[in-house]
Amino acid sequence: MSAMKHLSRWAAAFAVALACATAAHAAPDTIRIGVATAGGGDPVTWGGSPGGVARANNWLEEEFKASGIKVEWLFFKGAGPAVNEALSNRQIDFAYQGDLPSIVGRSNGLKTKLLLVSGARNNLYLVAPVKSQVQSIKDLKGRTVSIFRGTNGHLVAINVLAANGLAERDIKGVNLDTGSAQAALVSNGVDAAFGGYEWFKVRDQGLAKVVYSTQGQDPAFTRQASLLVRSEFEQANPAEVQRVVDVFVRAAHWSSDEKNRDELFRIWARSGTPVASWAAEFDRQPLAVRNSPLADAFIVARYKAVVADALKLRLIRREVSVDDWFDTRYLKASLKKQGLEDFWTAFDAKGQPAAGPSVAAK
Amino acid sequence: MSAEAELSAALERHGAPSARPTLPWRRIAARLVDAALPWLLPVALLALWFAGAEQGWISPQVLPPPQFVWDTLRDLASNGDLWLHVSTSFTRVGVGFAIGTLIGLVLGSAMGLSRRLEAYVLPSFNALVQIPVLAWLPFVLLIVGIGEPLKYILIAKAALVPVALNTLQGFRQTPVSLREVGEVYGYTRRQQVLEIVLPHAVPTLFTGVRLGFTKAWLSLVVVELVASSEGLGYLIVYGRQLFQLDMVMAAVIVVGAIGYAIDRLLDRLEAAANRHRPGGKR
Repeated sequence: MSAMKHLSRWAAAFAVALACATAAHAAPDTIRIGVATAGGGDPVTWGGSPGGVARANNWLEEEFKASGIKVEWLFFKGAGPAVNEALSNRQIDFAYQGDLPSIVGRSNGLKTKLLLVSGARNNLYLVAPVKSQVQSIKDLKGRTVSIFRGTNGHLVAINVLAANGLAERDIKGVNLDTGSAQAALVSNGVDAAFGGYEWFKVRDQGLAKVVYSTQGQDPAFTRQASLLVRSEFEQANPAEVQRVVDVFVRAAHWSSDEKNRDELFRIWARSGTPVASWAAEFDRQPLAVRNSPLADAFIVARYKAVVADALKLRLIRREVSVDDWFDTRYLKASLKKQGLEDFWTAFDAKGQPAAGPSVAAK
Repeated sequence: MSAEAELSAALERHGAPSARPTLPWRRIAARLVDAALPWLLPVALLALWFAGAEQGWISPQVLPPPQFVWDTLRDLASNGDLWLHVSTSFTRVGVGFAIGTLIGLVLGSAMGLSRRLEAYVLPSFNALVQIPVLAWLPFVLLIVGIGEPLKYILIAKAALVPVALNTLQGFRQTPVSLREVGEVYGYTRRQQVLEIVLPHAVPTLFTGVRLGFTKAWLSLVVVELVASSEGLGYLIVYGRQLFQLDMVMAAVIVVGAIGYAIDRLLDRLEAAANRHRPGGKR
């Protein structure tokens, strides 16, 4: 093949690629949502977030069917860090992520916007082997405790320890991921472990007991998760972003209705975490509080606190601005459209009901 | 280089036969090219990395610019973190590799000496070693807990396999002619092994040990993935967790450099051992 012909082929290929790229700006042919959990079930879904309801019911797929836009859900076993990598490589457009990983991404220069909250006030637990002497957080002094370092559970665990007069160096912290922590605790390799609702399954098998729970404690000890969008995508496709937010708000509305409680847990159980675990995680907590999409003063304060804690622990190297990160225009429009402006209670920075605008003033 | 050119030009002016004086020059040039060839690929890759970072081909969060990685590396080295991680990993690989090599040599020799033992053990051994380290993990975790022994065992397992198999092979490949000579001299079995089989097996044994080290070093990341708060493997895992790919790259560079250096060292030792090998005569 002559060099000229070769060159012209390359040029043609380049032109096609360019055309595709510009066409993508007009209207995306696929909307890709990255979920920061491995998920489970067939089709793969996840629990603990109204997003899981939208996923299980195919609401997004239905919303975009008429426009010929495909919806792709991508589940990341590598959780938050893997979602950050995918955002950075532009392999996903939306991301469902916990507070710390999204802050880590932002501190490293990822351009994202926080659209709405999708799973607030997730609890943290301290579990120990059934026959353990550990009765409270204070008993942890000098003991081997599993903490998944670099996760939002790590930050909360440190705050919980501090509230009980302990520093991280007062315990023998062991860095274990969720699966290893369960194996280690069951084999008495650690005296206790910090973790989330995944421990209820182990507890219900009679292999562990819950020693401490953030339920009913200061809501500052809880963890939040949100729906984010890549800024580039948001600027190019505001109409599609609005439609995605509409669906998530609809899911949040349904998931906040107490008469759907059992059905909600059954839908979430499709991900592999049993109904009993969800019932325990949401025990005596109004669904409308846990599944509220509002980015209220409480949420903003939590994200700011997580930034401060992460800086202190050197999990991030740069300050992260929170106020200009939330972009609640879409959320406000959705609430208005669906007549839900007064449906959810806004909370103040301390997590108490606040009298004020339902969406953080922004 | 220009001095060389001048010299050869001068020689040519003196009317010396042109083929002869260019010979040493050519030899030097050839040697230079030989020395440069192995660097070609790394230098090209480095250039690509520089260019890619400069042009923004890949997002800087995923592939940080070389300068940034270098700064991180210097940071790690200057605040002492790096030494903590390197020494931890070294201890782990050192202990695990020593245990694995020892067991591998003993097991390989035992199978090499006894066909019956080989028949009993080798099939199970071959089956067991196919299971990846990650699959062993929960099981070993249950038995020995999450302390250092867990890491030693997994690294030892990685080193053991090539050492044992190469040792066995070393024992099996004694040329028939050498063995016949031993028989002619009326060697006892012990003499056969010590005077003929072992000396002949040395290079194969060394290859096994070298491979064993590579495997042990490679298993570092997997082993330090679990229940670890220090070590080079942990640095890689943690760097990724915090989306600090510069830290990951810095750790990768250190892991690569140390692994390469030790492999070279073992290569030298192997060459030395080969030089002293009695080519059948002793």
